Amino acid sequence: MKFALGLWMAFSSLSLAGGLDFPETSKVVHAPADAKTVSIEFSFSNQTAKPVTIEKTDGGCSCMSIQIVGEKMNYAPGESGVVRANFDMGNFSGEVDKGIMIWLKGDAAENPSIRLKIHVEIPVVVKVEPKTLKWEVGGQPESRTFQITMEEKKPVRILSVVASNPLFTYELKTLEEGKRYEIKVTPSSTSAPALAIFHIKTDCEIDKHRDVQAFASIRKTSPGEKATAR
Amino acid sequence: MKTFAQLSIIVVLSAAAAGATYLVRGAPSRRLVCDPTTLKRDEVCLDTIKDRSSYLWVDARLRKDWLATGLPGSILWNLDGAEDMQAFEAETATRLMETPRVIVYCGDENCGVSRQVADRIRLLGLAEEIHVLRGGWRALKEAGLTRNSSPGT
Repeated sequence: MKFALGLWMAFSSLSLAGGLDFPETSKVVHAPADAKTVSIEFSFSNQTAKPVTIEKTDGGCSCMSIQIVGEKMNYAPGESGVVRANFDMGNFSGEVDKGIMIWLKGDAAENPSIRLKIHVEIPVVVKVEPKTLKWEVGGQPESRTFQITMEEKKPVRILSVVASNPLFTYELKTLEEGKRYEIKVTPSSTSAPALAIFHIKTDCEIDKHRDVQAFASIRKTSPGEKATAR
Repeated sequence: MKTFAQLSIIVVLSAAAAGATYLVRGAPSRRLVCDPTTLKRDEVCLDTIKDRSSYLWVDARLRKDWLATGLPGSILWNLDGAEDMQAFEAETATRLMETPRVIVYCGDENCGVSRQVADRIRLLGLAEEIHVLRGGWRALKEAGLTRNSSPGT
């Protein structure tokens, strides 16, 4: 009986052990500011004693397509392959974490055998701080300032600034041509809630970084909210 | 021969136990379970949201999905390269002036876009609360909230 039980357990564990060995399961990628896509490759091998079949892959969103290089889905013992993730950077910026899931034959739908991680760092070219200038309703209508810094090596100049709400007057000041600017904003009144959108156009050569937005708001601060006006 | 007989008995007993479990407890549940103890810092379970209408719901899926099955009253903000991010920012900022509490959802719990979108909304500095819905649109669908829905209504 012991032998039979042992045989059963050995068989059961063998059926669960089928897998692919990935030397690296997470990667960090520094993407260039002008990149539209980045490709990240993960190599793997079948270190088990039986063939392994990749059934499906999922990049978690439409921005990530997953390829098994050579479209080879079956791996004999000792065989190796490469998973390639193509990340469409679209409108992502800053730091992005993405996951890849790989289901092998026999995996439950909700439990893929393999989970890989990718951390992508995408530079911000035109940095506006703060993103929103805030005033409290009934507060002092004093001036506040957006600081704009160009994070590219090449100079990036501000071509124009347009505000959507005439309640706010503004003044663009160049601190260092092509590098640092500031926009001083003053509301004519803070008697009622209001919002203005500032469209800042630059001569940045990279399309998606050319135009940026910033906001100015006058609103009531909720009881639990700390006044963060700057 | 004796070993194979014993092995057969074990297999039959295991199958019988599995069958009995299936008959008594039914098929394994595929329903989404939101365990509050496993939530990330900014995540929220749908069933713990008390007044759903007091939130601005942001759909982080593709536009076609939002148009087809988005939550009524939701707005769209995804990271699709074909979309106009500035339009998303502007609309969200405008809506936040009225409704400063936000819940972002994407397709399901494996979709990471909602957290990216939540981070961008956080950067605007206009929201009092920003949450990511655990289970995303799947949780809304299972709760019957997206049936026959059309966004913007």
